[in-house]
Amino acid sequence: MNGLREHLGQSLRLHFRNRMALLYGYLFPLIFLVAFWVLYRHEKIPLIRHMGELLTVSVLGGACFGLPTTLVSERERGVWRRYRLTPLPTWAFVVSTALARYVIILSAGALQLGLALSLGMPLPAHPLDLWVAFTVVSFAFIGLGLVLAMLADNVPAVQALGQCIFLPMLIIGGVAVQLASLPTWAQHVSAFFPGRYAVEALQACVSGVGLESIGFCLLALALIGVAGCSAGAKLFRWDAAQRFAASNGKLWLVPVLGAWLAVGLLAEVRDRIAVSIDGATVAAPVATMPAPLPLPPWTKITAKDVAALDFRVPSDGGVVSPFAGPEEEASDYTKDEVEAVRQGLLTWRPGLEGDDVQRVRNLVCVAAVPDSIQQPVERYLPPVVLSHLQEIYPKDKLIKILTWIVLHPEDGSVIDSIADLGVQGTAGDPAVVRERSYLYSIKFILRITGRIDR
Amino acid sequence: METKVRVTGLRKRYGAIEALRGVDFTLQAGEIFGLLGPNGAGKTSTLECVLGLREPDAGTVEICGLDALRFPREVKRKIGVALQSTALQDKITPREALNLFGAFYPEPEPTLRLLERFDLVAKADAAFETLSGGQRQRLALALAFVHRPEVVILDEPSTGLDPQARHELHAEIRRMKCDGYTVLLSTHQLDEAAALCDRVAIIDQGRIVATGTPHELVASAASGQAVRFTASQPIDPASLNRIPGLRALRSEGLSVYFETDEAAPVVTALMVLLAAQGATLWELEVKRSSLEDVFLKLTRPENKSMIHLA
Repeated sequence: MNGLREHLGQSLRLHFRNRMALLYGYLFPLIFLVAFWVLYRHEKIPLIRHMGELLTVSVLGGACFGLPTTLVSERERGVWRRYRLTPLPTWAFVVSTALARYVIILSAGALQLGLALSLGMPLPAHPLDLWVAFTVVSFAFIGLGLVLAMLADNVPAVQALGQCIFLPMLIIGGVAVQLASLPTWAQHVSAFFPGRYAVEALQACVSGVGLESIGFCLLALALIGVAGCSAGAKLFRWDAAQRFAASNGKLWLVPVLGAWLAVGLLAEVRDRIAVSIDGATVAAPVATMPAPLPLPPWTKITAKDVAALDFRVPSDGGVVSPFAGPEEEASDYTKDEVEAVRQGLLTWRPGLEGDDVQRVRNLVCVAAVPDSIQQPVERYLPPVVLSHLQEIYPKDKLIKILTWIVLHPEDGSVIDSIADLGVQGTAGDPAVVRERSYLYSIKFILRITGRIDR
Repeated sequence: METKVRVTGLRKRYGAIEALRGVDFTLQAGEIFGLLGPNGAGKTSTLECVLGLREPDAGTVEICGLDALRFPREVKRKIGVALQSTALQDKITPREALNLFGAFYPEPEPTLRLLERFDLVAKADAAFETLSGGQRQRLALALAFVHRPEVVILDEPSTGLDPQARHELHAEIRRMKCDGYTVLLSTHQLDEAAALCDRVAIIDQGRIVATGTPHELVASAASGQAVRFTASQPIDPASLNRIPGLRALRSEGLSVYFETDEAAPVVTALMVLLAAQGATLWELEVKRSSLEDVFLKLTRPENKSMIHLA
């Protein structure tokens, strides 16, 4: 134990003396976070919807690049060959290396979280759960990092192998691109990647209901971690001269790949693909949350309240909350879809039932949901919704209700699908729908009050 | 005398190449034993099998009475190793390295004592990357002694060292002997082996071709004495050939080389001859056969024979 403890301590000391390691391990995650903060600057609550992704990227980078790079470079130098001449068993070196990396990743995650808090993000909903989830995520990726270190014969090979894992996980694995934005086939593929479960687990602890909703994710990550760490220990190579192609025990890669496959198949069998796309069960079930405080009735909204609104919104031609101009014509296919929605709104139950605020909120969602999942029809529906609202509500009343929605974005509930209006797809995160509803409500007010003449 | 290391019938094959073809040798307690051989002769493979870095295809390695293949961890507590190039992380300091490696053993030597003994106190907190070759080698030796080993194994320890560092290293190895350590030294530097080793084994093409003390090996392979002289004018070879006991005569300019079993009478006759020809003797060198001669003789393809003296 003494040897393990000393090796762990020394590994950490050496890490903190290595400028490049600090740059990659700490500065890059922070830069990533700031980039997200700037990219999603219009969100009411900064960064909270993205902490799952940001923390996953940090763990992924530290475990799948940092760990194997350090291990392989020390092996190339002959450090591990020298370690092998000592009586400390292999498992002790593996455990100590993995623990050191966990501490490094944890500190990087804490730093990232600290910066997010300083930028205005509220405290995670379940801090202790977040630590547990972060630990399980780290375990899974450290196992993967160990396997990469044993596969790679040199440092350039680590970079190549790491990218082979990193990029697919980022793009179609649900780490950097939200699952709801991905085509169906990619959503199925993502079920075989641990990144998806990592994001889901971490996000649930930041803005969802915590560990109770992420049992499957933790199980999947633990399975992948056990397979990776076991294979990493069994494939352990001390000597740079010992090439992977010539090493024994290559069959240990089977359980590693088997774990990924098993997790994906299990997700398919248990219909986890659909469940996890529905953010309500995992990410932020805000839709069912009661209002934190008793709210004043919308009728008390005054012209002063309306004038005091923050009318700074993204441009109509952008990606977030696009809004077609009167001269813009939809394509034939989209035109049919728009027309179907226009007709469907007349009998659409969420637009007819409940109190006025909830009805308007539901109708605004008809614009917000396609925007949140970037459907081709997204920019053509807001004018339709606005037109419908103006038909069923008097101008003053509509302005007050929309202003109320803007001032109480977390109130009531939002819908995540308008499939019954003929537009397919499900919003991945209710918080996004709320945010887009907020933006469209402002854009509607701008037009109704004549601040914008379109 | 107690046998500290016993290697028997060691064989190792890498694909089609048979690196070791039955290596046998023993080390007695307190001796410095040199493993000599040209590049590719099997020194490294032998040491790697002894150290447990490679598993031999056949043969046994016994260290301090323990089967090294069956009890590798126990054996690693008995041996201290300094590899050819000591590789540590760039930013680690000698003090940290000694603390770290000391923690791998139950009763390590105090770090400060090792720093003092190997003259590393001034560099105790310097990064490894800033150490000179000699300082790195001293650190490697200190690491080998971190757990008070019974047997010290040094793999090409003076490779890459400058003359001063090499001199210091040799002094340290002699000190090991004085302190009673058993040392297995792998080297291809013949003067180093001759100066340091009590016994040497010459390995070539995967097998031991000679073992014994350096003196015994030289004596066994002795081809007499080599004589070289330079005169003030060219000497007629025919007249030199008339001197009894002189052989392998050759000349290069004014220098003449030959071998003889007994140099004294030949040199006397040579002086007489030079005087008769009116030539002046400018240089005269008489040299006994060296370990290098033995080594070259045994490791040259045309000179294969086995010599075992001890």
